[in-house]
Amino acid sequence: MTARDEIFAALPRAASANPHADAAALLARVPALRPARVGPDPVASFLARLTGPVIAATAERLATRAEIPAAVRSYLAANQLAPRLALQPSAALQTLDWSGIAALPTIAVDEPVSVCEADYAVAETASLVFRSGPHMPTLFAFLPLHHIVVLEAAKILPWLEDAAALEATRPAPRNLNFVTGASGTTDIEGTLVRGAHGPAHLHVLLIGGQIAALAPQPANVP
Amino acid sequence: MTAAFTARASAALTDPTLKTAIERTTGNARAKRAAAVAAWPGFEAARDLGRDIKDHVTQNLAFYLATFERNAIASGAHVHWARTADEACEIVVRLCREAGAHSVTRAKSMLGEEIGLPHALEAAGITRVETDLAEHIVQLAGDRPSHIVWPALHKTREQVREMFARLHHEPGGLDTVEAMVASARRELRQKFMQADVGISGANFLIADTGAVCTVTNEGNAELTTTPPRLHIVTAGIEKLVPSTAHAMSLLRLLVRSATGAELTQYTTFHCGPKRANDPDGPSEFHIVLVDNGRTRMLTQGLEDMLRCLRCGACLNHCVVYRQIGGHAYGGTYPGPMGAVLTPVLDGLKTAQDLPRACTLNGLCAEVCPVKIPLPTLIKGWRDKSWRLGLEPRAATLALRLWRLAAQHPPLYRLGTRLALPLLRRFARTGWARTLPLAGGWTAARDFPAPARKTFLDQLKERRK
Ligand code: SF4
Repeated sequence: MTARDEIFAALPRAASANPHADAAALLARVPALRPARVGPDPVASFLARLTGPVIAATAERLATRAEIPAAVRSYLAANQLAPRLALQPSAALQTLDWSGIAALPTIAVDEPVSVCEADYAVAETASLVFRSGPHMPTLFAFLPLHHIVVLEAAKILPWLEDAAALEATRPAPRNLNFVTGASGTTDIEGTLVRGAHGPAHLHVLLIGGQIAALAPQPANVP
Repeated sequence: MTAAFTARASAALTDPTLKTAIERTTGNARAKRAAAVAAWPGFEAARDLGRDIKDHVTQNLAFYLATFERNAIASGAHVHWARTADEACEIVVRLCREAGAHSVTRAKSMLGEEIGLPHALEAAGITRVETDLAEHIVQLAGDRPSHIVWPALHKTREQVREMFARLHHEPGGLDTVEAMVASARRELRQKFMQADVGISGANFLIADTGAVCTVTNEGNAELTTTPPRLHIVTAGIEKLVPSTAHAMSLLRLLVRSATGAELTQYTTFHCGPKRANDPDGPSEFHIVLVDNGRTRMLTQGLEDMLRCLRCGACLNHCVVYRQIGGHAYGGTYPGPMGAVLTPVLDGLKTAQDLPRACTLNGLCAEVCPVKIPLPTLIKGWRDKSWRLGLEPRAATLALRLWRLAAQHPPLYRLGTRLALPLLRRFARTGWARTLPLAGGWTAARDFPAPARKTFLDQLKERRK
């Protein structure tokens, strides 16, 4: 017998007559018990959590995509970084006016900065979601020290289950990355240090939505 | 207790820095977990759901394994099956050899430790680069992990500094923990890119997509699995979940219980090899599904343990683990979950001390995110050990005497009446500093003087 046969032979017969139905019934219990992490305005919940004390990323809101290069320029200047970066090879970003910045479509091992666009985000956990593909090399989200992420406010989903439901309708990419804050480690005496192997700084450029004010949060929704 | 275990535990207890080191990390973890749980009123109901999801999978394991295999193959992955640890290592080593691999990077995986993969790779002459910071420290020290989430929590910053200064190529300053982390980042950067094979574990195997989910805070898993030509996953067959949505429910529990965060920084679903036009990613994706005792657990009354998410909460809350740390347990898995798993993996005879090194205070079961009845399972091993005659002679004799007395009340009364004055003679000051046959107790603490008369005698007098 092969190893596979032997393992299957050692397993009892399936208990469920219809595992799919039983699995779906389990999920029906989720909405009632989820932690109250999403207020009436998911964009506000997302931003508050992203920039809160735990995740501690930075963010700014822009009215239009045309403002992206200028925002990146001022980020580079504020952080005393050279005008050079790895720009995700997507048409939506490459076609912007990057004059004054060396924007490369590839990424070096020690690249200080990369600019990527998140496919969407999840308000519950303030996670940015990247799907690998011809226009999104996975390493763009992991090699740089500063990761600048463009996100359309309209693409913020409330819950992790919404992300799962969306993914169930599309062909799976090689890598589906949920990025929640900059890289960190607590491996030496429990002390949190940012920039373990991945980015040390995460900066989000949130495009569109209601720019005027952050909607006030209900007290019980951090 | 066997001599080997006593020696390891004694060494741990006399280590001058170990207890401080353990408390720093586990204390932090306990506080953060408590805060995360307090902020989630639905936590109890979520634990029930977590338990039920994992039980549903265990009860339909053949169905989900077959579904996972079919979908993984459809995504372009190669699926391998291993009955034992050795078989799993052979498969991984063979894949590395066939790829002509000189260097492999590894993202921390408890299953990898369980099957002895680090050793197998070294024995095959393949350079192994551990990329998780803690595993990197453990590798440099020629040590073993002592915690399933923080493998290097037994090391102090001074020890890490000394090692990095000696072994890193460009250690630089190293005055702060930040500088040490930066040095490790420099040290590992090129190695990520130069590896021929990247090996990871799996936190979840997603049956309906064939994807493998990993969680890390450092980002080392993706840097391990993206640049090399081959990505090999080793995973226990109990890691299955029906769908991505089910994984989300378990992630909420796992991450809060492990670190108190709401989600790890990097939660990734790896599905198949690089697609035709992808700029990066491995061209081959292999998944090794490992049994190594898991199907046996189903027949040994240990199916509850197959729910374990490897979150480490039971270790962080265990009064014994907090005193002796992970190495004293002698197996891959320490603490309460190790006391249940190690006898399965190494045999009860070898691991007989682990179920005994437990106060049965029940805290582990209270914090377990999938409600594994750890004390009950530990008691199950004690029971088995008794029946196999593995219990120490003194304990067996004492319990037999106790049983005899307990079943014969006059004998019991006589015994206690005789014992009381004797005990009081050793405790003239109110506390006994030494007691015959109880040196183990009085070595570290005094024994209180008993009452003048037995409970029953006192009761009789009052009733008069
Ligand atoms: S037994 Fe429970 S608490 Fe312990 S590691 Fe497993 S899931 Fe976590």
